[in-house]
Amino acid sequence: MTPSPLTLTVNGRGRALDGVPDSERLLDTIRWRLGLKGTKEGCRSGECGACTVLVDGVSTLSCLTLAHEVDGASLTTIEGVADDPVGRTVTEAFARAGALQCGYCTPGFVLALVGLLKERGWAASTDELLQDLSGNLCRCTGYLAIARAVAALPREAP
Amino acid sequence: MPASFTLVTPPSVEAAVAELATGAPGDVLVLAGGTDLLFDLDSPRVAPKRVLSLRRLPWRTLDWNGPVLTVGSTLPLRALEEDREVADRHPGLLQAVRAVGGVPLRHRATLGGNLGRAAPASDLLPVLLALDAEVDLVGPNGARSLPVDRFLVGSRRTAIGPAELIRSVRFPEPRPSAYLWQRVRPEHDISQIAVAVARSPSDGRWRLAVGGIPPRAARLPEAEARLSSQAPGDAELRAAAELAAQKLPIAADRRASEEYRRHLVATLLERAVRTVSASANGGR
Repeated sequence: MTPSPLTLTVNGRGRALDGVPDSERLLDTIRWRLGLKGTKEGCRSGECGACTVLVDGVSTLSCLTLAHEVDGASLTTIEGVADDPVGRTVTEAFARAGALQCGYCTPGFVLALVGLLKERGWAASTDELLQDLSGNLCRCTGYLAIARAVAALPREAP
Repeated sequence: MPASFTLVTPPSVEAAVAELATGAPGDVLVLAGGTDLLFDLDSPRVAPKRVLSLRRLPWRTLDWNGPVLTVGSTLPLRALEEDREVADRHPGLLQAVRAVGGVPLRHRATLGGNLGRAAPASDLLPVLLALDAEVDLVGPNGARSLPVDRFLVGSRRTAIGPAELIRSVRFPEPRPSAYLWQRVRPEHDISQIAVAVARSPSDGRWRLAVGGIPPRAARLPEAEARLSSQAPGDAELRAAAELAAQKLPIAADRRASEEYRRHLVATLLERAVRTVSASANGGR
């Protein structure tokens, strides 16, 4: 089997990857082919949200997505999130609130939240945002600081 | 190690059906959103030669034709959840969709995938039963439709033919409806039991369905027959709920005991029927 090349825009940069097996998960492509280790593998079964990235601006579990299924898409990982005003605002809110303990879940939380803000806009309520972050787990249970970061977000475009 | 397979991405329905019809049965698995399938593909027991992706088929659709809602099989659940009209006219469907995983998962998971995979713990199948949804299939001999109750055969088993695909799911009419579930950890667990309840405005009859227990989501006809009025009184409702709890083939497993599940079925059914009665009175 000779898979066709995989074309992606990764954090704004065009990439063409040869030899990506058809069965490869996007998570593994990101971590092991692109070397972007900020995207974390947690459960590998869609329960923890640690591997969340943006695919064409939409939050997606990279562990449950085949890389070739998103051929041609634009990816945003935690390494590129601050290139965009929404991402910068969210990472700054997390930093100010100290919204991390071990940090393993943080990239997934940040990308999931950036995705929600892109979907819902800045007027989304704190309750609504927290409810829709329920697919992301923090095993340190540092949720209070994360909730404070969400509550401290601006309510209009910064 | 995950299996090695060839990913096939047909550009048309005809090409997809033709691809499915080639090779030995079991050689090929169908990929919609993949959120359930990919989990299985990590297991050495699941080793397809080909995985057929539906992503290029024109089935990411949501259409209203009068009262009839048709949902294309590859529409992400998140799009269904974000549709105002679905929320207003099928409240139980919205509640069930929001019970599936988190938002990033619902951006890929699909109604067609959920039906095709037929997990006993599916959060969507009970409400499809309560809403009398129909499954539209397409295959080498053309199109056909089956009520969800006939489409579901057992745990992970459906009546789909070897070269058939789920094209869409049709909901015949808006109904006051509710979906309630119980879990140990609300956001990260499989439901120990779930109930879907709907009342048809056209025939005035209740539909009760249960999920979260093997082998498959099921209607509760004996209990349905006990509910006659639009707003059942306490005694009528209690009798129907207890009958449902007694009749079910419930077993204990690591997620809940049999006794607790029987208690939950009755309690959740009562609560869901009251919710639907109240919403119908509220003039929704």
